[in-house]
Amino acid sequence: MNPKKKQALPKTIQHQPVRFVLDGELIDVNDYTTNQTLLEYLRDTLQRKGTKEGCAEGDCGACTVVLGQLSEDKESIQLSTSNACLQYLPTLDGKQVFTVESLGSELADLHPVQRSLVEHHGSQCGFCTPGFVMSLFWLYKNKTQTCYQELLEVLSGNICRCTGYRSILDAGLHMYKYASSVIPTVPNTEDKNPEAEKWMSLAGPSPTQNNANLALLKRCVRKTTFAQYAQEERQDPSKLHYLAPQSTEDLASIVLDRPDATLLAGGTDIGVSITKAFTEFPLLVYTGNIKALKKINITANQTEVGSAVTLSQIIPTLLSEYPELEDFFKRFASLPIRNIATLAGNICNASPVGDSIPLLLCLDSHLKLRTGNSHRVLPLSEFYLGYQKTALQTGEFLESIQIPRRGQSAHLASFKVSKRHDQDISAVCAAFYLKHNDRSEHSIKIAYGGMAAIPKRATATEDFINNNHLNTETILQAMNILKQEFTPLSDFRASAEYRSKVAGNLLYRFLNEVIYPDTPPATA
Amino acid sequence: MSDTHDYKQIGTRPIRPDGVDKITGRANYGADYSLPGMLHGVVLRSPYAHANIKRIDLGKALALEGVYAAVSGADFPDVAAGGMGGEGGGDFKDLASNIMARDKALYHGHAVAAVAATSRELAIEALDLIEVDYEVLTPVMNLDAAMAENAPLLNDKIYTMGVNPKPEQPSNVAARMEFKRGDIDAGFADAEVIVEGEFRTPTVHQGYIEPHACLATMNQGGQATLWCSTQGHFEVRTAVSKTLDMDVCDIKVIATEIGGGFGGKTVIYQEPVAILMSKISGRPVKMVMDREEVFRASGPASATLSKIKLGAKKDGTLTAMSCWMAYEAGAFPGSSMAPGAMCIFAPYKTDNFLIEGFDVVVNKPKVAAYRAPGAPQSMYACESLMDELAYKLEMDPIDLRLKNAVEKGDQAAYGPKFNEVGLRECLIAAKEHPNYSRELTETQGRGISVGFWFNAGMQSSAEVHINENGTVMVIEGNPDIGGSRASMALMAAETLGVPYEKVRVLVGDTETAGFTNVTGGSRTTFATGMAVIQASQDIISQAKQRAAKTWEIDEDQVDWQDGHAVPMPGVNADWEPLSLAKIAAKSGRTGGPLLGRASLNARGAGPGFSVNIAEVDVDPETGKTEVVGFTAIQDAGKAIHPAYVEGQLQGGAVQGIGWALNEEYVYDDKGVMQNPGFLDYRIPVASDLPKIDTVIIEVPNKAHPYGVRGVGETPIVAPLAAVANAVRSAIGIRVGELPLSPPRLLAAMDE
Repeated sequence: MNPKKKQALPKTIQHQPVRFVLDGELIDVNDYTTNQTLLEYLRDTLQRKGTKEGCAEGDCGACTVVLGQLSEDKESIQLSTSNACLQYLPTLDGKQVFTVESLGSELADLHPVQRSLVEHHGSQCGFCTPGFVMSLFWLYKNKTQTCYQELLEVLSGNICRCTGYRSILDAGLHMYKYASSVIPTVPNTEDKNPEAEKWMSLAGPSPTQNNANLALLKRCVRKTTFAQYAQEERQDPSKLHYLAPQSTEDLASIVLDRPDATLLAGGTDIGVSITKAFTEFPLLVYTGNIKALKKINITANQTEVGSAVTLSQIIPTLLSEYPELEDFFKRFASLPIRNIATLAGNICNASPVGDSIPLLLCLDSHLKLRTGNSHRVLPLSEFYLGYQKTALQTGEFLESIQIPRRGQSAHLASFKVSKRHDQDISAVCAAFYLKHNDRSEHSIKIAYGGMAAIPKRATATEDFINNNHLNTETILQAMNILKQEFTPLSDFRASAEYRSKVAGNLLYRFLNEVIYPDTPPATA
Repeated sequence: MSDTHDYKQIGTRPIRPDGVDKITGRANYGADYSLPGMLHGVVLRSPYAHANIKRIDLGKALALEGVYAAVSGADFPDVAAGGMGGEGGGDFKDLASNIMARDKALYHGHAVAAVAATSRELAIEALDLIEVDYEVLTPVMNLDAAMAENAPLLNDKIYTMGVNPKPEQPSNVAARMEFKRGDIDAGFADAEVIVEGEFRTPTVHQGYIEPHACLATMNQGGQATLWCSTQGHFEVRTAVSKTLDMDVCDIKVIATEIGGGFGGKTVIYQEPVAILMSKISGRPVKMVMDREEVFRASGPASATLSKIKLGAKKDGTLTAMSCWMAYEAGAFPGSSMAPGAMCIFAPYKTDNFLIEGFDVVVNKPKVAAYRAPGAPQSMYACESLMDELAYKLEMDPIDLRLKNAVEKGDQAAYGPKFNEVGLRECLIAAKEHPNYSRELTETQGRGISVGFWFNAGMQSSAEVHINENGTVMVIEGNPDIGGSRASMALMAAETLGVPYEKVRVLVGDTETAGFTNVTGGSRTTFATGMAVIQASQDIISQAKQRAAKTWEIDEDQVDWQDGHAVPMPGVNADWEPLSLAKIAAKSGRTGGPLLGRASLNARGAGPGFSVNIAEVDVDPETGKTEVVGFTAIQDAGKAIHPAYVEGQLQGGAVQGIGWALNEEYVYDDKGVMQNPGFLDYRIPVASDLPKIDTVIIEVPNKAHPYGVRGVGETPIVAPLAAVANAVRSAIGIRVGELPLSPPRLLAAMDE
């Protein structure tokens, strides 16, 4: 057991210079290594030590920074939180970075968020504090008031071991009051402050930085295409390690030309491989700059989600159609992770415990796969061939996910069973979709993660339920069939017995709640 | 001094002196320091939980360009056996072997060798070139295995201490201790109701967010300077001197800001390795653990097994209490069994008790102190069984405790007689709290528990300097882990009668501050605070002398009021009061700068009692427990800065909730930890928790001028049983093993 096991010394890349905006300056990075993260760059190269490393795998939030990106119309900057330890340095190209040092540095010029935190004694040891400052800063820039529930969600990726969170939550609740120039020393209301809107509308942390930042950001958005590289460069892994194409066509030709390419969508999984396991990828292709893949198209029949759409983008869309999933999505990774992770990444990574897969399976989603200029559409249920093995062929990539629109009389539920609310790997993930008019006419789809080597539909159980009257007896029998249908594994997250039992109990809960909405069932 | 509550500054909530540094990212922690020419050191760790080390060859690693030093156990001096004292316990010889294995690797992750190179990546590459031959042995991974007949031995030189006559065979049981009073058999014979139970707790980690980090440099003259994240730089200096055979006067230790410790940073891991490699290379060496190393190789807290029995009269009066308890020490002797044993029955008046405790070595990392070390585990057992006793007696659990609660004059189970303590006050506050009586749903339950920790005194030093404009500089030697600069400044300001804003506090290094024991044992505000108060009083007496000189009267004719020297009442004079600023401005003419100082070995740390109320909701389908309400009530003696006292109560509660519900080391059958990261070692985040409510009780500790008793550790003691008792009330079943994870509860509900 050694620190950060790796395969080879990182190589320095000469190609694809990276340019981003930091505190009103353009930062050009010409040399970086194949596994360099934003966190390392900030701390080691720029000597900005305020951003801390607590885990280097996106779990603790001590390295939280805020990233800015030009909006579609190029007239504003969209902000999101991110774990700097997972942010592979080249993916910053064309973005703006805010760290804790970007905010106030003295008592007199503290950002309202900092002011609120210090007045509410939101630090004990203070190590996690810069991360909390940045998560709250992001919220501050996006809303003019907040509430307790929202704070829990925004802070879901920040661990504090000292305070028990209460002082930090209080600071969040009161932060808008510190927007005015006359700062109250003893805060006592949670009222909305009109001054806060002034702060929010600005891209920069202080009023004077807005236009300057926008102009700078426009200057660092550049176009590079695969075609501009000579043929021999394209094929030479020693020359080309990283590409960020701007069009789907470019992406298609890269994937055709370089079968060894690994697509980096959000990079929350591959990010850990790069930054923690030091895995060497011959060619990393970042899809986050391809506008066409960042689109969500809603038609009468389906919602089509581009493969670079982040979870933060898609969740509101899905929630507007399936409001019953609110609790589920609340527990779906931490906010910084949701800001960079994608559904496509969740699907292609083929983890048996990918949280979104059972849901997409029971919604009968399809995948639009592309090779060069040709497409095929595959049901998601046929995509997984074995443990971390998918139907993707050489030269093929996932372009979009097609999710059918909500059917009539549909009931949907998705559960994630894990130890902690946020940021936790599930022991079992379940999704159920039931169309049902009365008790004899119904059809159900059931899907589980964590119960087999791949996320899977429970087809035998489905058949049984579909062919029987829906009543308590049927449900109990279905639970027995379910038990036969899956042989889950025991690991340190949960035992096979537990997984089996919970899978059945969740089915029981779902069906009972649908059939007997007014009389919640007792334990199975 | 005064017992009055008429304080001007104590009890207020000003911004801490280092608050702005912490929210602006300017506070520098262990990994934030660097020096020109610095090398990066990394550690080669044992891939086996139990193995003899037959051979180590560093040659190829040293030959790699850019590698400047490589060391293994053979490069370190032999260390004589000798006790370390402090909260963690243990022995310097063992500490040295923990820092770098000698002939045996005793846990997966045990340091076997180390390399310093020009970059971290290069140093890691060099680790792969180190050749180690191991003879793999069977790992001993828990108390049952370690205490079994014919168990494989970790160390054949361990013969159980505390057994008479000395055992003939070596054993994994390093020590046996017994504490008793009265006649235990008579006590149980006298009982009308007897309850018994067995309780287990898992290995858990302190979980500070900042990994261990240090930077060392050694000059040609053999003098070392060390920056490190620690709870006590003077103890680091002692430990470095012992493990490297250096004179303490050749070691300067600078405590950086510390990103959490909870006891886990009272010991050292990398510091002597960095100094030795700096000595060899002639360059500064920085060493920073990654998260996985923190989990695998730095101090967790003991896993424990307690078999406990209580006897009582029908009215609830306890007649006998007994407990057999075993604590895992990890790879080397020295668990927190003794303090655990001393705390377990401390809250109750007991004429008859018997405690038998065992300190047991296993192939896990050597345990380190974790916030009230030993007490959460033992109090979990005691308070769970007290809960069962209340069920059996059909008594309100608070009434049962009130019936037996200790008060002034009672002899504590661990020896001394209690002075004023706040247990009854805490219990009454709990009973009257609305959270104790609000309505619960069918799947919810409520539990309470008492918490106790002795609190420590130990040695502290402080200096108070008065600047020429009357502002105040306090120099003390305790790393500020949770706001202690603020409490020091408040106590100095209160004593001197100057505004808080005029006081600055410096945490001095080992060459700047006088010797001061660790920030631990909940001692800082109590003991170092007392030193700061005494040093401030020293200033007052000097300032009065200066005023007397100025006014040409006798010193005893000068009084000190609100930061000013004034003539005593009845002194026939009409001099204007002299402020500290005025006296300081003229100090050159009256005898030189004002410099107050104090050093002490503080006695009379007031014991800390608490009562927690937990309210939980257990999902019958998944077994998942949600804590829906939590109330922490604790006697603080006097809360100097109430916001930071509340912060201690809330933070301790949350650590305890994590311990009760989620946190545990999961090992495979080879002794390899399966969850060495925050993704799978589940520390609670904000959304896992209710708002933690707090009630501060103030029963002043007469041994402290302002009534302070330590508050840092007691908060983690009660939550384990409070949560467990709430779960018991919710599901109607007692599950005697932590964590109360969903699988464990679901299985229990199935039966």
